[in-house]
Amino acid sequence: MTVVARRARGATSGAGRLAVALLSPTFVVLALVVGYPLVAALRESVFREGTDLDESGFVVEGARFVGVDNYASVFAGESAVRFWNAFSNTTVFTVITVSLEVVIGVGMALVMHHALCWRGVVRASILVPWAVPTAVSALLWRWIFQADGVANSIIGQQVLWTTEGWQAKFAIILADVWKTAPFVGLLVLAGLQIIPNDVYEAARVDGASPWRQFWRITLPLVKPALLVAVLFRVLDALRMFDLPYVLIGPRKASAETLSMLAFEEAASLRFGPAAAYATLLFVYVAVTALVFVRLLGADVIGAARERAAKR
Amino acid sequence: MSRILGVAAWFAGLLFFAPVAWMVLTSLHSEPDAATNPPSLAAPVTFDSYAEFFDSEPWPPLINSLSASVGSTVLVLLLAIPAAYALSIKKVEKWSDVLFFFLSTKMLPVVAGLLPIYLVAQYTGMLDNISFLVVLYTSMNLPIAVWLMRSFLAEVPGEILEAAALDGAGLVTTLRRVVAPVAMPGIAATSLICFIFSWNELLFARVLTGVVAGTAPVYLTGFVTSQGLFLAKVCAAAVVVSLPVLVAGFAAQDKLVQGLSLGAVK
Repeated sequence: MTVVARRARGATSGAGRLAVALLSPTFVVLALVVGYPLVAALRESVFREGTDLDESGFVVEGARFVGVDNYASVFAGESAVRFWNAFSNTTVFTVITVSLEVVIGVGMALVMHHALCWRGVVRASILVPWAVPTAVSALLWRWIFQADGVANSIIGQQVLWTTEGWQAKFAIILADVWKTAPFVGLLVLAGLQIIPNDVYEAARVDGASPWRQFWRITLPLVKPALLVAVLFRVLDALRMFDLPYVLIGPRKASAETLSMLAFEEAASLRFGPAAAYATLLFVYVAVTALVFVRLLGADVIGAARERAAKR
Repeated sequence: MSRILGVAAWFAGLLFFAPVAWMVLTSLHSEPDAATNPPSLAAPVTFDSYAEFFDSEPWPPLINSLSASVGSTVLVLLLAIPAAYALSIKKVEKWSDVLFFFLSTKMLPVVAGLLPIYLVAQYTGMLDNISFLVVLYTSMNLPIAVWLMRSFLAEVPGEILEAAALDGAGLVTTLRRVVAPVAMPGIAATSLICFIFSWNELLFARVLTGVVAGTAPVYLTGFVTSQGLFLAKVCAAAVVVSLPVLVAGFAAQDKLVQGLSLGAVK
């Protein structure tokens, strides 16, 4: 069927009504469960808890409307240094872990796809790191990276991995890539299934090398699945919290992420500033996602069908 | 060239499994053997740690986790497949905004959602209730499920949808008999992802559940806190909690690798 015919059918109002009907339950669930916390966080971010004196000198208890004060204090003095440090940590972790996960994940998917023997076991076992709950894997890596741990006995050095410095960042990146590369691998594996075998056969007849087949056929065809994986990994990595928290611990400048900042503030009952941090992180994630979708829009949002039609 | 790549792949694979292998190995040793560094391969194998773990009544949390994960995965599929189908049958520019709205729910840091959601649970009397976790996990996994299903359904050839329509197939029949078989790898991957995310979710479960509805990761962290110095026991507990995910992965992998090979169009 041609693209034009598809469009014409899709444009009928019957299909439109059906689409709305099919979408609405999902909308309702999301708006209820996710919309409220967002509004609550925004509201919280313009209030401040605690005992204070009002203009006329009376003692005021409880939450007080402070406007943009919470945001202003994020960018003032000490906390500005801390905020920008966490910001750069978050960004560095996201960029490095997601790039490594894409490379390793695609490799894993190819191994799972082409496994010659023990297919089921190979495919299931690649998921192992992801299957181990984060609470445990963070602990596992803490044992590995402790002063008299396995990491040090392998390299024969005495590196204090979980202290301030590059080594803490390295430990976090290694543990995160180890854990989430299988996620990318799984999605790419599913994407690989929709490539018909005859495409490869045609390429082989044409004498294309495996390397060329990979770049020209495999990669472009798994791109939709891969981009969704990357997008969701970026969203999760930007909000990274439990791994650095358990592995390195709170209030360490080398490992502190924006989520950890928000958590620390909330844990010390400063809900206003905590909500301000959370809102800033929300904005950061939203802008990143928007740029991602706009830049790669054609591939992420659709065009797959057109490509299929052309094929 | 390919030989070097092969060796590199093996090396990477070994490195990759080393932490898990170490965990399994440690769980099979007695406590004194588990504490040696580097871990000894020769120490006698014992299942004492597993026996002790199962003595500590881990069944309720494991069953809670299972119902939360299976329940939310089923719900997610029921909601996401029609939604994704809607997004792929009618392609309008505006749908990209719809998709972006689904994404927006993944933008708020989890720690910021904790308190408001706790208050909702308290207000509705759903604290320490597995159904609340089911709804929560469903909404947490919906965005990625819709996005994924959409990217897979977009690959369902238009011809077979049209053929189904000509044969007078209704929506449910089309989804069940035509779309689902072709999109099976996508459905398998999506359900596995939702299952794993819900099974491993810790932050919300820890805040929202207590004695009754506590999930396996919550139980596990409690176990780590109380038995943290006993490496073998903690490792045994971790292995047991990770096993269901592996079983699910093993069950899903078959469905994961059959797609257009069914020859739907030919």
